[in-house]
Amino acid sequence: MATIEVERQILPILGSPNQGARFYNPELPSSEPFVPGHRTCAGCGPSIQYRMTSKASGDNTILVGPTGCMYVANSSYLCTPYNVPWAHTQIGSAGSFTAGVAAAYEAMIRKGKWKGKFPNIICEAGDGSASDIGLASISGALYRNHDCLIICYDNEQYANTGIQASSRTPYGGMTTFSPPGPLVPEGKKLFPKDLARMMAAGHPHCYVATASVGYPIDLMNKVRKGLNHKGAAYLMVYTPCQKGFVYETPRSIDLGRLVVECGLYPIWEWNPEKRAFDYSFRPQNMRPVSEYLKLQGRFGHLHAEHIATLQKFANEQWRMMGVQLPEALIHAADAKNLTNMAAAAEAEAVAQTL
Amino acid sequence: MATMTERKKKTVRINGCVASAQAAKYADVDVIAAYPIRPYTATMMALAQMVANGELDAEYIVADSEHSQLSIAHGAASSGARVFTGSSGVGVQFAYELYSPISGSRMPVQMMIADRTLDPPGDFGSEHTDALSTRDMGWLMGWSCDAQEAFDNHLIAYRIGEDPRVLLPQMVCQDGFFVSHITGDVDLPDPSQVKEFLPPYKHPYPLDPRHPVSHGPQIMPEQGPPLQLERARAMEDSMAVIEQAHEEFAQIFGRRYDPWVEEFMTDDADVVFFMQGAHAVTARFAIQHMREKGLKVGLVRLRTIRPYPTDRVKEVLSKFKVVGVIETNMALGSVSSGGVLYGEVAAALYESQKRPLVISFMAGMGGEAIVLKEFYWMTQKMMDAQKRGKIEKRTHWVGFEE
Repeated sequence: MATIEVERQILPILGSPNQGARFYNPELPSSEPFVPGHRTCAGCGPSIQYRMTSKASGDNTILVGPTGCMYVANSSYLCTPYNVPWAHTQIGSAGSFTAGVAAAYEAMIRKGKWKGKFPNIICEAGDGSASDIGLASISGALYRNHDCLIICYDNEQYANTGIQASSRTPYGGMTTFSPPGPLVPEGKKLFPKDLARMMAAGHPHCYVATASVGYPIDLMNKVRKGLNHKGAAYLMVYTPCQKGFVYETPRSIDLGRLVVECGLYPIWEWNPEKRAFDYSFRPQNMRPVSEYLKLQGRFGHLHAEHIATLQKFANEQWRMMGVQLPEALIHAADAKNLTNMAAAAEAEAVAQTL
Repeated sequence: MATMTERKKKTVRINGCVASAQAAKYADVDVIAAYPIRPYTATMMALAQMVANGELDAEYIVADSEHSQLSIAHGAASSGARVFTGSSGVGVQFAYELYSPISGSRMPVQMMIADRTLDPPGDFGSEHTDALSTRDMGWLMGWSCDAQEAFDNHLIAYRIGEDPRVLLPQMVCQDGFFVSHITGDVDLPDPSQVKEFLPPYKHPYPLDPRHPVSHGPQIMPEQGPPLQLERARAMEDSMAVIEQAHEEFAQIFGRRYDPWVEEFMTDDADVVFFMQGAHAVTARFAIQHMREKGLKVGLVRLRTIRPYPTDRVKEVLSKFKVVGVIETNMALGSVSSGGVLYGEVAAALYESQKRPLVISFMAGMGGEAIVLKEFYWMTQKMMDAQKRGKIEKRTHWVGFEE
């Protein structure tokens, strides 16, 4: 059988990846595959991520949207924010539908039924899809190594359905499925599933990375590295949700930096060639978790012991990244040294510091 | 058009599963989504070997579940590829979520089904409940009764489903084991015949970066009904395309099927069986034996259940005194407290001026063969009803009564 060789795209990597959101990079492409006209909330982290991701990917791109905010709030019939082909799929079909698109293009190009460079195929799955109901389908796509990029836009909850706990919701996070009460003062009792690490450990031939909307150039470069990697790639991106996290809408990017600076969202890459994690990313500052928590209403009920528990969790993440812990953070992991956010008087004291 | 003699036909002895795989090969499918479950698996085994041998150039994907199989098929068809997938029994139901989205986005995915009982009993036998439980999801659906018909139905279904006037997915069903694992002579056509009959798949709005489109956006409640009406109309309008496709199939391949029903020895029949699938082969033998004894019994075999040929069923069945519906499926607590087909038959006959009596027979359940003796027993029940002018009861469980 005569077959045509599949030609793939290689996208350039941008300079200065560790700069903040307000840094202007003249190398940024002017293309906007994701345009205004969607119905997401003001300050929506996932849609900020969506714009950066699709900008990095360019026009020869196909987007797949499993059910979630980025389906329901973005696509409204007879009005679409997508300048590139986009298809909805079921919430549990993130990896499988995307695999179908990738397989179709492999076959169609090889058999001469479609002419052109292999498109960038990106799936934008929420953390509910990626960590719960669509986990097997994504694992299947990564395992089979289809040439595609699967992004988990991680807003740490099922937001579109009205803020319910997912297996990415952090310990202590209040959602409508994990409300605090006298018997459960911390709200969410479980720690989040270490999803990106699962993907790296289970599919070591894939490019896997974590990123945050607080570091746009780093995020866009990881999108491009994932797309340039021949085979499957997985990217988990911190994307705050003002509706569920309950914060002031202009602070989405600030949260995107604070969550990294306080050690709750380590930024790393899995290098499939070296079969090794790259923990070299360092935020410019290190902070106690309370600085991140106090900006968000979802943590407003926490007692000192819960904050200390989260600080211990963050400290473990820092150690995992190979960071020498400053004395202040070890100190902050002891509840005696912390303030209850739940008590009105203490909340007032916290508010004074803002 | 080349004449039949110029073409290189060959006759092979294969089972229904392999016939389905051969049809997918002749249709030059681009993407195959597989997941193992008996008995349909043999189709995917055959296709895997064809791809490994280089006989078929297709992406062969071993999915992680039936839900993923159908999602892969949905994604691939949405991108412009011709897709083949399949399942059996509980596998058909594991994928249930995808049936409406696929027909709703008007993607002509093709799915081969070799029936298997659901759990319980979960045995390997054929019961049509698996596929029939999805019958109202907007898929074209029909049963073959032997390997040759299975092969032909796959090609005909692609032709109908991919027609721009239709654009609907298709379930091409065959009984597990009675068709899927019993070998028969199958005429494989010359590839040029298939080329003539089945044009390349070309969806009008694929996911193509050069012509961006959005598939399946969120809609407001008032935007729903027009889309549902369009899908309902596509199903209705497919009837003319189905007839045209069968006619052209007969001209190109030399095998003629009535698209809706096969009538066997019905000319002067008083009582007839109404059924789908493989047991019709045994029914033909039983009817021949009974005819030799002078009993006026015949067979009406439904070939396409979706779209349901209501008028045709009404017209055909109104000629008889008694209709015995052989279900081979379960519809617990349904109108007849038996199977699905009774309701379909009774509803079609409601508008008839001359309604026959209708009896439902629960036979072939759990994948048991329906033996000649049972056909004689059912015929006796129908003749008793004819004599009395009324039925004894709506549903008989065959083998559980005197």
